Amino acid sequence: MKGAKMARDLLQPLLLPLAALALWFGLSATGLVPGYLLPSPPTVLRSGLDYIFGAPGAGPYAGRFAGDLTASLVRVLLGFAIAAGLGVPLGICSGRLAPVNRLIAHSIGGLRAVPGICWLPLALIWFGIGIGTTVFLVALAAFFPIYQNALTGARLVAPIYYQAGAMLGVSRLRGVFAILLPMAMPNIITGLRLGMGISWAYLVLGELTGVPDGLGAVIMDARMLGQTDIILVGIIVIAVIGRLCDRLLVTALELSFKSARRQR
Amino acid sequence: MTPAASGDRATAGGPAILEIEGLGHHFVHDGATVPVLRELSLAVRCGELVCLIGRSGCGKSTLLKIVAGFLTPTTGRCRLDGRPIGRPGPDRGVVFQEDALFPWLTVRENIGFGLAGRQWPRRQRQQEVDRILDLVGLQGYGDYLPRALSGGMKQRVALARVLIRSPRLLLMDEPFGALDAQAREEMQELLLQLVRQRRQTILFVTHDVQEAVVIADRVLVLEKDGGRIRKELAIDLDRPRDRGDVRFQACCARLRQWLRT
Repeated sequence: MKGAKMARDLLQPLLLPLAALALWFGLSATGLVPGYLLPSPPTVLRSGLDYIFGAPGAGPYAGRFAGDLTASLVRVLLGFAIAAGLGVPLGICSGRLAPVNRLIAHSIGGLRAVPGICWLPLALIWFGIGIGTTVFLVALAAFFPIYQNALTGARLVAPIYYQAGAMLGVSRLRGVFAILLPMAMPNIITGLRLGMGISWAYLVLGELTGVPDGLGAVIMDARMLGQTDIILVGIIVIAVIGRLCDRLLVTALELSFKSARRQR
Repeated sequence: MTPAASGDRATAGGPAILEIEGLGHHFVHDGATVPVLRELSLAVRCGELVCLIGRSGCGKSTLLKIVAGFLTPTTGRCRLDGRPIGRPGPDRGVVFQEDALFPWLTVRENIGFGLAGRQWPRRQRQQEVDRILDLVGLQGYGDYLPRALSGGMKQRVALARVLIRSPRLLLMDEPFGALDAQAREEMQELLLQLVRQRRQTILFVTHDVQEAVVIADRVLVLEKDGGRIRKELAIDLDRPRDRGDVRFQACCARLRQWLRT
């Protein structure tokens, strides 16, 4: 029984990707879609292996993966860290302290209404092409879901828990760490996960502007050279890395906080 | 034989721990002042279990919140051991009606939570938690999370995390109201056992007349909307009390009548 359950848990998530792969094989083999629009899976696999494991210099994209990944990860993590470092505290303060909320809620709501892409021209002027612009865009875009969910989490903590804490000798300041943050943790995690997802989206936007390295840069570069296979490789790599980052984020939070581990 | 006049065993006990005089409180709702308590006075003596009963909306929970220090009364005096009551303090413990356990802490951690401010060695703290776990009948459940417990067990934890701080006065706000009949009777027995062992002073709010007669030394009946003590009944029946006993039922009948009119 336990084996069957494990097999099910492992295999079921693979069903959709395998079906998509089969469809892709079919489309390529029948020639319904020409190769320059959708290269066949073996072609993409070869390009992918070359991109990841190939000797640098053997081809335009051979062996670039490690460098691109490092560059993109640094940008994403830097932007995400800024967004989390500002979003969680500001969200918690906004959710608990009415004056803070009155002060910043409208301004932040207004900024959020601006599509992130509008900031691109300004960011280019301010930070130039490269890491600055990308980190700025990632931090800006990831901030809003992190802030909003932390705010909701803090606001949803029922007064009875503060009363219970006060009755058990918890001061206001200690209450923030002993009661408020743990109670708001499920919402904070939701915000951080959404923020992490958006970080990858805006990473690609930032890297489309002509930076030499990064996963987004590779995709844009390949489009100019008409290398559809590399575009697909880039998309698949971002999907896998993005998903890994999400899992790592959740695991790290669960390892660090009881309140994350025990309130799923 | 009138129950009200029969004997004064409980009230003859120790000196008053809690003294409330001329207590008044109102809320402001949509600009209108809504009075909840008016000129309420009462006293609870050391080792006494006093039940406060009244219809919903009569202010009994508000009174308990004031004594706990969660609310500041509009007028009147409220003293514990002769000192005015201010913010929540270690001399008072509260068991709430609803589940207010911390969901990310195990039973053991919930119970030990209130000891965090004391500079006790870890071992001593563990021993104390174990002792209280036994006391409320939760041996073997120390590592459970609250969500895995039944309503009755949660309230045992709620009681335990307060008892471990040895409060002078225990405040209970309809703590067994949400439990099924069997669990409620078990909790009432547990409470009485604790009162016997520790001579714990308790102010207990309930709307269940039978519950009041089972556990209380003295029952105070709040006015329907006046926010004052309307009547008082000393329950001078031997323990354990027999719910089928004629005198038990006479007490219940009298209280019900006072609540109605």
